[in-house]
Amino acid sequence: MSSSTVSRQTSQVRTKPTPGIKAGPSLRRSRDNVSGWTFAAPFLVFFLVFLVWPILYGFYMSLTGKSLTGANDALIGFSNYSEAFADAGMWRSLGNTLYFTVISTVPLVLVALVMAALLNIGLPAQWLWRLSYFAPFLLASTVVSLFFVWMYNPQLGLINDFLSKFGIPKIGWLNDPNVAMWSIVIATLWWTVGFNFLLYLAAMQNIPAQHYEAASLDGAGAWRQFFSITLPQLTPTTVMIVLLQILASLKVFDQIYQMTSGGPGGSTRPVVQYIFETGFTGYRLGYSAAISYIFFGLIVLVSALQFVITRRRSA
Amino acid sequence: MQTINFWHLLSGGDGVKMQAMIANANNANPGFKVHPTVLAWGPPYYTKLAMASAGGRPPEVAIMHASRVPGYAPGGLIEPWDLGLLAEYGITPENFAPRIWEKSQQNGKVFSLALDSHPFIMFYNTDIAGKAGLLESNGLLQEVNSPDAFKAMALEMQKVTKAHGLSLGYLNLGAQMWRLFYTLYKQHGAEIVLTPGQPMQADRDAAIESLEFMASLFDDTIAAKGNDINTGIAEFVRGDSGMLFSGGWELPTMKKAKLPVDAATIPTLFGTPASYADSHSFVLPRQLAVDEEKRKDAYKFVSDILKGSLSWAEAGHIPAYQPVVQSQAYRDLTPQVHYANAADIIAYDPEAWFSGSGSDWQNYFAEYIQNVLLGRSKAKDGWDGFVARTNDLLSRPNPV
Repeated sequence: MSSSTVSRQTSQVRTKPTPGIKAGPSLRRSRDNVSGWTFAAPFLVFFLVFLVWPILYGFYMSLTGKSLTGANDALIGFSNYSEAFADAGMWRSLGNTLYFTVISTVPLVLVALVMAALLNIGLPAQWLWRLSYFAPFLLASTVVSLFFVWMYNPQLGLINDFLSKFGIPKIGWLNDPNVAMWSIVIATLWWTVGFNFLLYLAAMQNIPAQHYEAASLDGAGAWRQFFSITLPQLTPTTVMIVLLQILASLKVFDQIYQMTSGGPGGSTRPVVQYIFETGFTGYRLGYSAAISYIFFGLIVLVSALQFVITRRRSA
Repeated sequence: MQTINFWHLLSGGDGVKMQAMIANANNANPGFKVHPTVLAWGPPYYTKLAMASAGGRPPEVAIMHASRVPGYAPGGLIEPWDLGLLAEYGITPENFAPRIWEKSQQNGKVFSLALDSHPFIMFYNTDIAGKAGLLESNGLLQEVNSPDAFKAMALEMQKVTKAHGLSLGYLNLGAQMWRLFYTLYKQHGAEIVLTPGQPMQADRDAAIESLEFMASLFDDTIAAKGNDINTGIAEFVRGDSGMLFSGGWELPTMKKAKLPVDAATIPTLFGTPASYADSHSFVLPRQLAVDEEKRKDAYKFVSDILKGSLSWAEAGHIPAYQPVVQSQAYRDLTPQVHYANAADIIAYDPEAWFSGSGSDWQNYFAEYIQNVLLGRSKAKDGWDGFVARTNDLLSRPNPV
């Protein structure tokens, strides 16, 4: 049922770009549309007060020595930035964030694809699979972190207890600097893969059945169909999922703060936590604003990339 | 009736005790009602208290660790206590032990009034120590005064428990590593001096010797290689070890478990008696506009709490208010009275805007020292890394 409505909607979308309708938006833009602005006003107020103003004020703060204690908030130019570029702590946490982004994005996309493909084969009780894959996504990060902190506990945890039945020595899941980030990725994968899975599943169910019929008439097997029809048809979805996932992973904070608070030995501290520590527990608001602007620049870069790629696709 | 807002960070058994003390003060003073707000220990508490004070509308009175005051007083986030007014409510400098009174001051003004000192101490299981033949005729644990003698004692206890001699959980908790390290370091008679703009001054040999001794304890015989704080305590409560290094505030846990437990300060292994401790202290956050009536009520409230701090001692803390410590009721409290001497040998954190209980600096310590304790890196490399990290902090602009 749901899949057919989705495909009807997309076919409408596909017929949209005709010359007649294309002129519409520009006409509407040029008119002084009072009711349009009125409808947009509530959003605009929030947009200005809670996004534009903080962005501008944050940038101003990054040029001052502002402290949480209220001391020395004079303008000091770009010296916060030059300090940040020489700050090993910032580079290390930025490196941790990038590392997390790389090692989390790949499984979060691939596992979601495999899960969606398996379900799309036509397993019975589809709703049950969909529900159980998506359900963890609905949990709060605190709940997920608690689950995993207990399961990862080196002495009493479920996972080490299970492994010990096979004679595998205890692993310090969250205590070993070489393992901790991977443990967090596993928890994150379990927690958020359902969202990507749902996007993939919806896209797969949109691929017209005729393609597969034609291919099987030509003698293509299931694998051939997957690689030559399903995957190419999913490319726009994949691009979107990858970019959304990169942006989500770059912003990682909650589960790391709750599971390791950046440890052991700072090996999992993401840049967002470094910003928080510098500004709030370390009082240096101006300096932490500067670091957050450097990070902001990175995110803008990724978003711009996303914009360019998606535009090229839709053009 | 005035409402006095009071913020603190005491949870668990401490929180229950504090709540009872507040209720007593409220009952005794019909003129005001103290309304407590409890926030999570560590960074969540201190960030909120700092922001509330910076904004000028903080609670009338709050609790801080004495070790965090150097990060608050110079920036004007808290206001000094008026000794004249305090004297009206019966609180005078003579009521406090010298070390604690000295700590309450910054630049000659009293910014924090200590409720207690809460040292890092040694609990021991009297059954296990007795079976190992380590108790004196008065029932107390034998005194040891060298690292080797201490390890030999722990090994004797291990023979009884068949598990470990000593418990100390530290994984991912800088505070735990720091508490033992700083106790042992100060036992060398050494100091750490932190001056912004200058490199940290410390005795490297003493630090490395302390760290090597700590690492040698975690050999899976004397103590388990890697426990976190809770599994360390659980091990001791189960009877799988004879001794536990821990904050005195864990005493209610031991009592609840009906463990045959006694306590002492951590043995003096390197010559000079010293015991890491901090104090829960009352502070007056800076008000935009001071309400004199409320402030007087706050003084009255604090003086009542100090005078009634015997019940605070039941939670394992050493009261700072000397008339309580000298009372017969306190002398009858065991094992509290067996480690009450800690108040005379306490070592507070070295002073800087970034040091103290629950500070990021303790986390930085963990970043370099955890691997030393786990046997993954050498004590000297860990220490040098921590010193470099601290020097980096000292070289940055001072935000207070």
